[in-house]
Amino acid sequence: MPDLDSGHIFLTTMAPILPGAPEDNPHSSHEQRVRMALARLPTANQSPATETGPYNSPFTRNMRNHLARMFVLNDVVYNGRVGQNALKAQIEGDKPFVPQKVDRLNAPYLIFCADVDAITEDGDALPATLTKAQQKEVRSSYAHKLWETMREELIAIYSNCYGFENVKSADDFADYLERCHVETTMPFHDYYLELPRFNTLPLKGLLYGVLAPVLVGIVALLFWLFGMQALPILGWSSLKTWILAFLLGGVAAFLAVKFTLRNGEKPLAPAKYDDLPSVLKSLYIQQKFSEFFIENQGASAAELHEAFGRFVKDHRPADRHSKTQKPGVISSSDLKNVTS
Amino acid sequence: MTRELNLNDIQGNITRAYGRYSFPFARYIFFHFPSPAAGRDFLDIVRKQVTTAAYWPTKKDKPLCTTNVALTFPGMLALQLPVRTLQAMPDEFIEGMKARAFLLGDRDQTETEEDALKEDWDKNWDPIWQKSREPGTLGFGKDDVHVLVTLNAQLAPGTSDQPNDALEERTQWLLDAATQTGVTHIKGIGAKGDQDYQEASTVFDKIGKLNLPTAKEHFGFTDGIGNPVFEGQLHDDIIDQAVIGRGKLMGDGWQPLATGEFILGHPDESQELPPVANPPEFTHNGTFFAFRKLHENVGSFHEVVEEEATRYASVMQVSHEEAVETLRAKMCGRWSDGVPLSKVPTYPEWVAFGEKMGFHGDGVDPIDGYRKNLAYIASPEARDFRYADDMSGFKCPAGAHMRRMNTRDYLDPMNKNGVDQKTGKPEENPDATSALNKRRRILRRGLPYGAPAYEHKDDDTEQGVIMIIMGASLFRQFEFVQQQWIQYGLDFHQGNNTCPMLGNHDHHKRHTIPSDPKSGKPPYVMSKLKTFVECRGGDYFFVPSLTALRMMAMGIVDPT
Repeated sequence: MPDLDSGHIFLTTMAPILPGAPEDNPHSSHEQRVRMALARLPTANQSPATETGPYNSPFTRNMRNHLARMFVLNDVVYNGRVGQNALKAQIEGDKPFVPQKVDRLNAPYLIFCADVDAITEDGDALPATLTKAQQKEVRSSYAHKLWETMREELIAIYSNCYGFENVKSADDFADYLERCHVETTMPFHDYYLELPRFNTLPLKGLLYGVLAPVLVGIVALLFWLFGMQALPILGWSSLKTWILAFLLGGVAAFLAVKFTLRNGEKPLAPAKYDDLPSVLKSLYIQQKFSEFFIENQGASAAELHEAFGRFVKDHRPADRHSKTQKPGVISSSDLKNVTS
Repeated sequence: MTRELNLNDIQGNITRAYGRYSFPFARYIFFHFPSPAAGRDFLDIVRKQVTTAAYWPTKKDKPLCTTNVALTFPGMLALQLPVRTLQAMPDEFIEGMKARAFLLGDRDQTETEEDALKEDWDKNWDPIWQKSREPGTLGFGKDDVHVLVTLNAQLAPGTSDQPNDALEERTQWLLDAATQTGVTHIKGIGAKGDQDYQEASTVFDKIGKLNLPTAKEHFGFTDGIGNPVFEGQLHDDIIDQAVIGRGKLMGDGWQPLATGEFILGHPDESQELPPVANPPEFTHNGTFFAFRKLHENVGSFHEVVEEEATRYASVMQVSHEEAVETLRAKMCGRWSDGVPLSKVPTYPEWVAFGEKMGFHGDGVDPIDGYRKNLAYIASPEARDFRYADDMSGFKCPAGAHMRRMNTRDYLDPMNKNGVDQKTGKPEENPDATSALNKRRRILRRGLPYGAPAYEHKDDDTEQGVIMIIMGASLFRQFEFVQQQWIQYGLDFHQGNNTCPMLGNHDHHKRHTIPSDPKSGKPPYVMSKLKTFVECRGGDYFFVPSLTALRMMAMGIVDPT
């Protein structure tokens, strides 16, 4: 699966952390300094301890971020020796007293993952497909946005990473993040109101396409094995036929696998209200409409009509940019959490 | 192959909800070990009277009064069990229930710990529980509850509402044992702290001319019908019937749950042996429970139901009486006589069902109706239903108390929502399983406490339920159900709404009652709920096997 799915970019970046510590501060290694900078990032205002606090997560300063996560990956997990059947090991000459190779990362890495609207201008509609170059543009635009809104925090974190010393501008940061970019292999998305049209695999067609030449090959091979040089009725050479048919089957199988992988990589279309402003608006409307429903239980048709008119006027359901919940807060019940 | 359990090694309150075995009275008595030697001596006396899970082949095998023992973590600490054993006990058990109050919703979840402490959040707890495990004492508090002995008694012969003398005799014997060994009897039960034991009994009611034990709690709901059934718990000749509606659905009808969900040392529903403290025979055949004194605000409950019913009656154009009974049923999941909404979904059907079954109606003798009702709620008929055929909750609301406590087949990820295009009816999901449910089941033991049904009750009178919630993992089973299913609603598409009956309603006061669009009636949202049930104290306990009790008494718990 690619980075792009359902109109979102599922970004994964890995920045290697510098070895050792800064010369003037030998007690705080660069790895420790990354962890300290991350620990100091304010969380979103979503718990009793943070709701009344003055700071919100820096990721709430942009209007594209559905999720962001930064953490230090110290190393890959070592699961111990790869075990196998004792007899098989003996035959293969795998000696249990000889240490196996242990996979390690070459440095600790700062991992930054984000699920963002795949757009280059705030307010754009979510795209169904993007070329590789367009995806790169989206990543670059997001990096610029982050630099604009949380430059200070980014420097505190990334200044401990390899190659960041030359980053001085938004363009530099976008280039840097691009160098750290790795493909997200399994994005996950869950905003669908109705399930999209999935890219279903034509399994039967693919199976028949591969099996048909293989079957012909088997029949021809049997004829040939039983000494018949030519196929009955058709008169083709049985030797050539089975060789050709098996070759054809092999090519078909290769193509079918390619097709399957390509099909799996096709992004799904965005859901109807999938962009961050719509999601925030829907959270707001959901809360206000629940209140509206309760207040109007048992109202007459005329009263309900009038009340609904007022509701639409007050809460502007079609307007994604005002009368909506701010990012990074838990509810719209407090006026300070609402964009008026 | 099902392994036969060593029932003589397992405490009887794990396999039996005594209230359902004609023990309508209970007494919970708490002690503190001033020294390890006193604790060991006390356990050595008590263990010889512990009621095991062994079958009662004849009537005389059934004791007049049962005795069971459980310890808190400070109790195990006071016995000076080896550190290697203690440190491997589950962390929630080590911390205790008071420290978990935020997670459980026992204290206001919109407040920080600092603010809650300033407000003295547990000020309404019984003094015994306020003093036990004071913050900062780390299991060494001088008033910590160390051991709980539970006594359950049958009726005195020839009476319908008096406990057997054996209860008083056993109590005296226990107090003598404490005196003899130097163990402290901790009192301070009740709002004023003036009771020496936690008394409990089924709620009695006047039926005809008699004062009889009922299966109800103080709001008037029939309780305790759907306790889980697990492998090895019951005799082979009754298991097939008992498991209906109480086991799991995994594509082959109702099956008992794995023993390891409820008793340590046995494989559980994830086909693992749960990790336990060493030595293995110390935890084997044991389990854990949460002891929770749940106060019921009967006054608030009736007031709120009355007020909502007035509005419901006018919105739905039904009588006030129908509105009250319907709202109550839609909050609970059962009508007040225990008939499940999932089988009898509407008020007129329920009235007709009760008449057909002889529970009530013209000419029905009250005692006869009472007996028939009790027989019905003990029958598989009252338990044999699913929720996957009612995904939208038209029959039983998805947020109703019962659907939250035991989700049955509702959470199977393969379930389809909405309407079946072929039939035009809600999706039936006939192959739905108990996936995502079978690891979250809890055994409910315990009994109500408080005055009989006919006496005046309000928020200030003392009544409620002593809930004993058992399972192999308090964290995975009880705490998950309490946090995610009682105090939150996401798994049921109910947002922040909490359980309409047990949930905290200081901030989230709603309960949604869906309505089939075909009925032409709108859904109804109750919006004025108050907190009807409040925790008044309790703690987490380990229920040792008879072997473990003997090991503790002998002082030979050796983890090496």
